[in-house]
Amino acid sequence: MVNVTLTLNGEKTACTVLPDEKLLDTLRRLGRTDVKKGCGEGTCGSCSVLLNGRLVASCIVFTAAADGGEILTAAGLGTADNPHPIQSSFVKAGAVQCGFCTPGMVLAAKALLDVVPEPDVQQIKLALDGNLCRCTGYVKIIDAVQSAARTLAGKDEVPHA
Amino acid sequence: MSDTSRLNVIGRPLPRVDALEKVDGKARYVDDYRIEGLVHCAMTLSPHPHAEVLSIRTDEALAVPGVLGVFTAPDVPVNQIGCVFQDQPLLAAERVRFVGDRVALVVAKTRDIARKAAALVKVDYRPLPSVHDAEEALKDVAPKLHAQGNLLAHQKIRFGDAAACLAACDVVVEHEFEVNYQEHAYLEPQGALAVPEAGGGVTIAGSMQCPFYVQSGVARALGLDRNRVRVEQAVTGGGFGGKEEYPSEVAALAALAALATGRPAKLVFSRAEDFQISTKRHRMRMRYKVGADREGKLQAIYVTQFVDSGGYAGLSTVVAERANTTAAGPYFFPNAHVDTFIVYTNNLLGGAFRGFGNPQVTFAIEGMMERLAARLGMDPVELRRKNLLSEGMPLICGQALPPSAPSRDVLDTLAQRSDFDRLRAEALEFNRTHRFRRKGVGLALSMYGCCLHAGGQHLEGSGALVQVRADGSVEVNIGGTELGQGAFTVVAQIAAETLGADYARVRVLPTDTRMVADSGPTVASRTTIMSGNAVRAASLQIRSRLVELAASMLGCPSREVEVGNGAYRQVPVDPPALRPEVSASAPSPVTIDHPSSTISQANVRFPDLCMEAFRRKLHLAASGWYAPPPKPWDKDTGQGIAYSVYCFTGNVAVVEVDLIGGLVKVEKVFAVHDVGQVLNPVTLEGQVHGGIVQGMGWALSENLVLDKGRCLNPGFTDYLIPSSLDMPQMDATFVEEPYPDGPFGAKGIGEPSLISVPTAVALAAGDACGQLPDRLPVTPETVLRWTAKDGNGQ
Repeated sequence: MVNVTLTLNGEKTACTVLPDEKLLDTLRRLGRTDVKKGCGEGTCGSCSVLLNGRLVASCIVFTAAADGGEILTAAGLGTADNPHPIQSSFVKAGAVQCGFCTPGMVLAAKALLDVVPEPDVQQIKLALDGNLCRCTGYVKIIDAVQSAARTLAGKDEVPHA
Repeated sequence: MSDTSRLNVIGRPLPRVDALEKVDGKARYVDDYRIEGLVHCAMTLSPHPHAEVLSIRTDEALAVPGVLGVFTAPDVPVNQIGCVFQDQPLLAAERVRFVGDRVALVVAKTRDIARKAAALVKVDYRPLPSVHDAEEALKDVAPKLHAQGNLLAHQKIRFGDAAACLAACDVVVEHEFEVNYQEHAYLEPQGALAVPEAGGGVTIAGSMQCPFYVQSGVARALGLDRNRVRVEQAVTGGGFGGKEEYPSEVAALAALAALATGRPAKLVFSRAEDFQISTKRHRMRMRYKVGADREGKLQAIYVTQFVDSGGYAGLSTVVAERANTTAAGPYFFPNAHVDTFIVYTNNLLGGAFRGFGNPQVTFAIEGMMERLAARLGMDPVELRRKNLLSEGMPLICGQALPPSAPSRDVLDTLAQRSDFDRLRAEALEFNRTHRFRRKGVGLALSMYGCCLHAGGQHLEGSGALVQVRADGSVEVNIGGTELGQGAFTVVAQIAAETLGADYARVRVLPTDTRMVADSGPTVASRTTIMSGNAVRAASLQIRSRLVELAASMLGCPSREVEVGNGAYRQVPVDPPALRPEVSASAPSPVTIDHPSSTISQANVRFPDLCMEAFRRKLHLAASGWYAPPPKPWDKDTGQGIAYSVYCFTGNVAVVEVDLIGGLVKVEKVFAVHDVGQVLNPVTLEGQVHGGIVQGMGWALSENLVLDKGRCLNPGFTDYLIPSSLDMPQMDATFVEEPYPDGPFGAKGIGEPSLISVPTAVALAAGDACGQLPDRLPVTPETVLRWTAKDGNGQ
């Protein structure tokens, strides 16, 4: 067993894990069910989290290797009462359907906008390529990322509704 | 009812009712349920496509620490399951009929332990010869899967005399088409939780489309009365048909584990299991013969098609019914002869998938139209226009096409919106100037019978429960489910519009068999119509009580009460004789048009009205029920009323083909849909975009590969569903001609969004290479074979 300390959505969390335990399983065991398991082999992106600011598929990251790391999940980004502008944009743009890819998708958007504040459509497509969505055809997700970029850059009027 | 300009909620791009809880990950999918004492299940699956089960030894698995039980066929109270035919064991006893047939269920403290122990269940098999092609399976020499033989069913259409007519036709075209499976690839895998209840019985929560199927399926397998099985839909991460019939099996397994161990039990599939053992879009082979006169007037169609059901029946006969009935597409044929054979094989289970047999036949009939046009030297779009069905014309099942049916508007809008002739000219010009890249354009139409086929009409009734609280907030329960498609959002809009309530304060609760009567399945693009009409019926009852109350509060006759914009207000109607449509007994669905001089300021806000209603002990709850009129059907001839209404769709796709690598890139897809009336443009567009991309996947990259019934690419690494980089530019246009029996005139959209997309994309790929495709998907290998043949790619 390995003792690991993670900073999980700003909260220091200590846990003991198996050497081969995956970060996704640890997070879900700790009650972070906002991180979803769609494939377990790093191909769908539903389990995306930010680890030290970088987007990773938590189902193929060993928890032990994340020791000391800072992890951000969708619930850490914002909540229904106090959503992050990216989350508000997803709601407003109609980018959410079944919602299973959504927590990972908003984090992929965050990872992009942290580095490229004003991405063009091709940059957004590239950034979301590892996050599969079977419902939306991606159009409104891309709209949402563009609109979030405008809001974050202070270029959007105050969102209504 | 058609004029939505006077509506406050309907037709507006309102945000989804369930979006906020999904963006922060709080929405609870089945695997997110945390519950005291929970145990986990895993399955032992057959590695053979066909084998006799000689013995099952469970001792080694039982000895694993943490294992609570290992269950096999004798533990299942009624081990004959199936949605239509009970031809399937929940756990196989003597014989396995496909790779993935279940033989044992292991229950353990953790999922890991359960999976490890499931691998230790020792099954002694005697492999039997297997059959992997539907037509081969019909031969005498083929191994028989079931006592009745391999022919599960034979469906027919007999309309006029197609054989005689074809013999006399000026032009006859004949061709064979074949389409492969498609995996739903919902992002959330199958899963169910079962909680044993005191006094017997079980509560199920799970990822599903059809709680009432799950209720009856679990009750049957476990020998329980249905009232002992409560089913609540968990938030469901996509369905697309894949969670229509299959979740009944998942839930029955979880329920078996729960009742046997006395603990809450959960079963969640791995992605690889989901690929191998859940249902797929049916593989089909279709032989078409079409005859026409020299002017291109269609005369006769003769179809022989084979539907590969896999090891068990599932919903195959129901899916096939749609392929059978709509085999001629949206075209008028005075003579038709269709034979649809539904056949058992040792392949994967065929089942419900968005379009439900229709995308397959659309590929065939549209391929025939292209071939016929080429033979006649006619423009293929002109040939389609010439033969397009319109309202009142007979379908091949003999039914007169009912309203609304704006088929011509759909085609004309598609041609204009896409500027089809220019697209074709541009592609030709591009191809003249490029050596290794080619552009192609494809157009396809489809006709989809909305809601259930006559054969399933006994399931068509649908209910809703609407309750208005004293503070003016509203709770809605429907029998339909939310899978991501937006059903809860549109029914909330319908309730808010009808009641005059605030949309943001309408809450649609998870679908629960305790709240609403059996409303049939959430399939067939029927939920907006069925649940929507039921919600409207319930809301209208409450509204008429509130109108009476408002009249007494405002001191006016109830016929002068107008509902809308969050209030009930008095609008003096004078003289009444000029406004015969306004009456208290039949509330108008829309606000009343009136000269501005008569507007009164007297009004009572909806929450105040509700509080007053509560004080006066009025009943502000109502259940609503909607069932369409009966549809007579003769299954021996395939003649009768097949569907209550039809949706027309057209797609144009533009692709670019890389002749060196064989890759097809879809650049643009146009979609035109006849939707009756737009209820929410955002959710509607969302359905269309999703349908386009899913349809495009089946046309090109989603190629499920089987080796003697074993899926060789059971994951997203090798089974390629489109990503953000694959999506084309999309353009969705809606033709609005209200459906008289739809809520506010609406029809369904879920399936039409996909149906003709694969064909348009495949035809475009073929067009780029000077070919007419007859296989789906059009893989790079196909393209390279095409181009090698005419020497283009060299």
